Amino acid sequence: MKKWAWNKTLSLCSAVAVAGLVSVMPGYSQDWASLKESFRNIQSVKAEFVQERHLQILKDPLVSEGRFFYLASGSLRWEYLSPIQSVMLQKGDSVRLYHFSESAWKQDMAQGVEARRMVLAEMSQWLQGRFEESRVFSYSYSQGPPGRILLTPGEGINRFILSIEIVLSDRPGVIDRVEITEPGGSATRIAFRNVEINASFPSKLFDEP
Amino acid sequence: MNFKRKLKTGLFTVLMFCAGCLSIPETAFLPGAPEDLESCAALFPSGPWECVHKIEAVIQEGMSFFLLGITKGDPADRKLHTVLLTPEGFILFEAEQLEETISVLKAVAPFDSPAFARGLMEDVNLLFLPPQEGPSKWGRSADGAILCQWESPDGSRREISLSTVLKISLRDRHGDLVKEALLKTPFVKGLASQMELRAHKPAPYRLKMTLLSGTP
Repeated sequence: MKKWAWNKTLSLCSAVAVAGLVSVMPGYSQDWASLKESFRNIQSVKAEFVQERHLQILKDPLVSEGRFFYLASGSLRWEYLSPIQSVMLQKGDSVRLYHFSESAWKQDMAQGVEARRMVLAEMSQWLQGRFEESRVFSYSYSQGPPGRILLTPGEGINRFILSIEIVLSDRPGVIDRVEITEPGGSATRIAFRNVEINASFPSKLFDEP
Repeated sequence: MNFKRKLKTGLFTVLMFCAGCLSIPETAFLPGAPEDLESCAALFPSGPWECVHKIEAVIQEGMSFFLLGITKGDPADRKLHTVLLTPEGFILFEAEQLEETISVLKAVAPFDSPAFARGLMEDVNLLFLPPQEGPSKWGRSADGAILCQWESPDGSRREISLSTVLKISLRDRHGDLVKEALLKTPFVKGLASQMELRAHKPAPYRLKMTLLSGTP
């Protein structure tokens, strides 16, 4: 359970961010039925992100930049461009990690690939607006502006994550940022930019780094 | 004749086995210049610092994983604080060391064993903290490399060799190489831009570290 818990949290930064980004949440007044309908309209998402990792040990946050591509049919490419060039590829049940080092992509033997698969399954529930079915998070809305979705983890995960807040953008279907708060004062903030909904991109993006 | 030949072969074999058991011969230290001693000390940050490294951990050839390592230290107080994170930013391990006392603040499996904490902090010590006392020996090798050597009460040795290669080594009391670190120039704010730590005992692994940021 302990291993499952940390492994599961391993990918939450990226997973939650993607889930939040494609969540169409124009306002608190939208009922669940129309919300789910709006989820169905999203077939793909492409965006860039800046991730700030705030840690007590560091004076300045650790800043990573990247981009991601998502297909509602079940594919995801979550890619860091700096400071470490790495990519997580998901296509159906297959999840692979690669890192760019010494002029070549290397497959990462890191543990947690199975956990990432579980997280992605959890995420796909969120992408379909099925927050109430989550085994890990309970949710609440705040209309704003800006609109916010607060995800609160249950027992186990709360040793690593206290809360996840998805802050919505003015643009329907787009979020501005995701803020993850951890015990001990650490936090992660992921801000999105150049978000494209239902853009087309080649499927090989999900096959090779 | 045949018996003598067999005896010779047997003795040779025994000698070869014994040779394998012997410690490596002591390096001869030729007299060095006073500034050589400063060169050994200059390998380590002299004041408080913090740095971020990209780390490729190679457990077996062709099998590696990547981490971010954050280290903060103060050589005057013999203090270290280190954090290992996944590239996504998830904390895998966090520990502090004051003098010889290690306090693990956070550790998740498989990084949660006391042996891992000891081994990691030994790596961090080797790379970043200069020995407290002056070296027990220092000088030059026959080929001109600057050598400094510290011997611990338990018989283990820490050695620095500075030539075209900058090397920090740790040997056990038998003289066997336990760990060695190769540092590459340029140094940025007192920190090597690249380092490779090779552990030989008890388990072999390699850490290839690239400095991402450092502040003195």
